[in-house]
Amino acid sequence: MSVLRVNPNRMELLKLKRRRDVAKRGHKLLKDKFDELLKEFLARISDSRRLRREVEARLSHAYALLAVARAEAGRTDLAQALLAGEPADLVTTAERNVMSVRVPEIEAGEIPQPGGYSLGTMPAVLDEALEALAETLPLMIELAQREKAIELLAAEIERTRRRVNALEHVLIPSIVETIKSVQMKLDEAERGNLTRLMKVKDMLEQQRAEEQRSAE
Amino acid sequence: MAEKVAIIGDSTSVAGFRPLGVAVFPVAEPADAHAIWPEVASGAYGIVFVTEPVYAELAEEIAAIADRPVPAVTVIPGAGSPGGVGEAKLARAIERAVGTSTLIREEEA
Repeated sequence: MSVLRVNPNRMELLKLKRRRDVAKRGHKLLKDKFDELLKEFLARISDSRRLRREVEARLSHAYALLAVARAEAGRTDLAQALLAGEPADLVTTAERNVMSVRVPEIEAGEIPQPGGYSLGTMPAVLDEALEALAETLPLMIELAQREKAIELLAAEIERTRRRVNALEHVLIPSIVETIKSVQMKLDEAERGNLTRLMKVKDMLEQQRAEEQRSAE
Repeated sequence: MAEKVAIIGDSTSVAGFRPLGVAVFPVAEPADAHAIWPEVASGAYGIVFVTEPVYAELAEEIAAIADRPVPAVTVIPGAGSPGGVGEAKLARAIERAVGTSTLIREEEA
């Protein structure tokens, strides 16, 4: 692991130790967040899967009915019959905060009753088809909300995992390594100092002994 | 906040939604959806449903707004498309989060 470039002195050592503690605390917090996000995520998946399967099955059923209606009424007539209807406010959206991820809460409102076409000229199967679609639409809306939440959670989980890994495998080891190297350099300087003092003391004693000898 | 729902796809798949109050954007070719996308994604709609061929065409644009809470873009099978794209999208999200999607598939089976 790469050692950070810092001056090996006590001040830096203190600073580094403080940084290490902050990084460790941050790592723990992020890890907890990651675990919680994952729990939330996994709880949502199987429900969403089931819902999607149901929506797809219902849609293909409705498409089949529409195809029959198209065959009976003719393509252009059917297209004309389906022109009725204005885009309406079908859903109300709000936001919810799940572990700091803004997840949409979408609620299906009332779906307009299909109509506006001639009951005389249009086959009965069209009613059935539209009814099937109208029944599927609330499920589709719920599916949209769930899948969006899952996608947003997945993105946040990925980001959090990267951060956790960066702290765990890069930043913290490199700080620890740097602390060790600074500590060793300081120890080395300390030892150097000690031997120098001992040497000086020896020299002084020798000098004193020589002075005494010459005085005698 | 009350919002509208949009659907983009071939006219056979989407026409049936118009009487139900959904804003319908029929496209003759999936590539035509590029022209419609800016309006749909502008925030006027809370949910955008796209059929599978359109999703395949718009994948980049959809990915670009994936981090916004609305609109929620959801893939639905169109009339005559095989399905499974939505499932694959979900599996990709799982893979992104967990690192593998096999584990959960086994658990479900």
